[in-house]
Amino acid sequence: MNREPDFRELVGDDVEAEERERLERVHELLVAAGPPPELPPSLADPDAEYSEPQPYEFLPRRRAGAMLALAAAIALIAFLGGFVAGHRNGAQFNSLGSAAMHGTKAAPSASATISWEERDASGNWPLKLVARNLPALPRNAHYEMYLTREGKRIASCGSFASGGRTVTVRLNAPYTTGRLGWVVTREVRGSPAQAVVLTT
Amino acid sequence: MELVIDSGARLPAPAARASMRSVASNDLSDGELICLTAEGDGDAFEILYRRYARPMFGLALRRLGDRGRAEDAVQETFASIWRAAGSYRPERGPGGPWLYAVARNAIIDRSRARNEPAVEAPDTESNDPGPPELAERDWVAWRVHRALEELPESQRNVIELAYWSGLSQSEVATYLGIPLGTVKTRTRAALARLGDVLDDLEGSE
Repeated sequence: MNREPDFRELVGDDVEAEERERLERVHELLVAAGPPPELPPSLADPDAEYSEPQPYEFLPRRRAGAMLALAAAIALIAFLGGFVAGHRNGAQFNSLGSAAMHGTKAAPSASATISWEERDASGNWPLKLVARNLPALPRNAHYEMYLTREGKRIASCGSFASGGRTVTVRLNAPYTTGRLGWVVTREVRGSPAQAVVLTT
Repeated sequence: MELVIDSGARLPAPAARASMRSVASNDLSDGELICLTAEGDGDAFEILYRRYARPMFGLALRRLGDRGRAEDAVQETFASIWRAAGSYRPERGPGGPWLYAVARNAIIDRSRARNEPAVEAPDTESNDPGPPELAERDWVAWRVHRALEELPESQRNVIELAYWSGLSQSEVATYLGIPLGTVKTRTRAALARLGDVLDDLEGSE
């Protein structure tokens, strides 16, 4: 779980009172501010869009309209292509039910929908997670989803590595009954600490 | 993604930019960078972008609640800064609050553009923060996120891991593969540096 850091642990005891007071004020501001968001790729790479004036040059209106129409056509083709390919590969997901997941303090703007199919003959339980606004991950980190019963984690449903606006992943859990839920954690390789980012 | 800018405002001609001194650097204050931007200095504009893209995106995300619209609002904000930098008056105050006002206006414009049905006032008093509290929270986050951009990466990492990844100092040391003492030294140095930057942002430039 995410936790508020302990100021004393952070700075130790060997700090003069005046300096401690100043650092503690910064600490409180950091806690109040919360994490800065990950920038989406289009904003994270200013060199591509902001370093020179050329990107601000306007296309003539008619040409801009034609470019928009072309972009819309490409998007439509991509969508239809994906749709057809998905059906051809048997990628349909026959949802029997779904539940909403909401972001935690570690990812306040994140949300998700978890859907499930009927259990299969082997006792597996196919799941589909559609997550929105998960923060981008640092290197050596991934997201992991767990099935919970009575609030306790009982099985991993799988891991995935993605952030950004929307991510859809297929996961799986051993079929279980009871008061079930799910959590998604952000995990860092080599570290026992986990931050829950989504929960039902 | 292309910027969408009203055609009413022409961008400075390249010749104007070429006439500027190449003095834009990270040592300049926000106000000085805005003045250079007003004269068409692309380097100054880029430094402002690096300092403020993340605080602006955070502000827009909190206000609009949608990454796509927040992204658009940030782009509109920087387009506005490029267009309107000439209206900034250093004698009226530091650059940070001016940039904040430009960002807030762009976000409000984007918020108004959303066609939502009118919401009826609730019968009971809400415990949710009101506009003054939200404004204060936005302003705090804006300054803190701006200050974070001033930290060297090694210090920023320990702060982000300690405050927002839920790691203890020992876990930060393990994660980064550095001694615990180094983590503590960097953390304290980072907090002190943040204090300096926040003092600067609050004071005059």
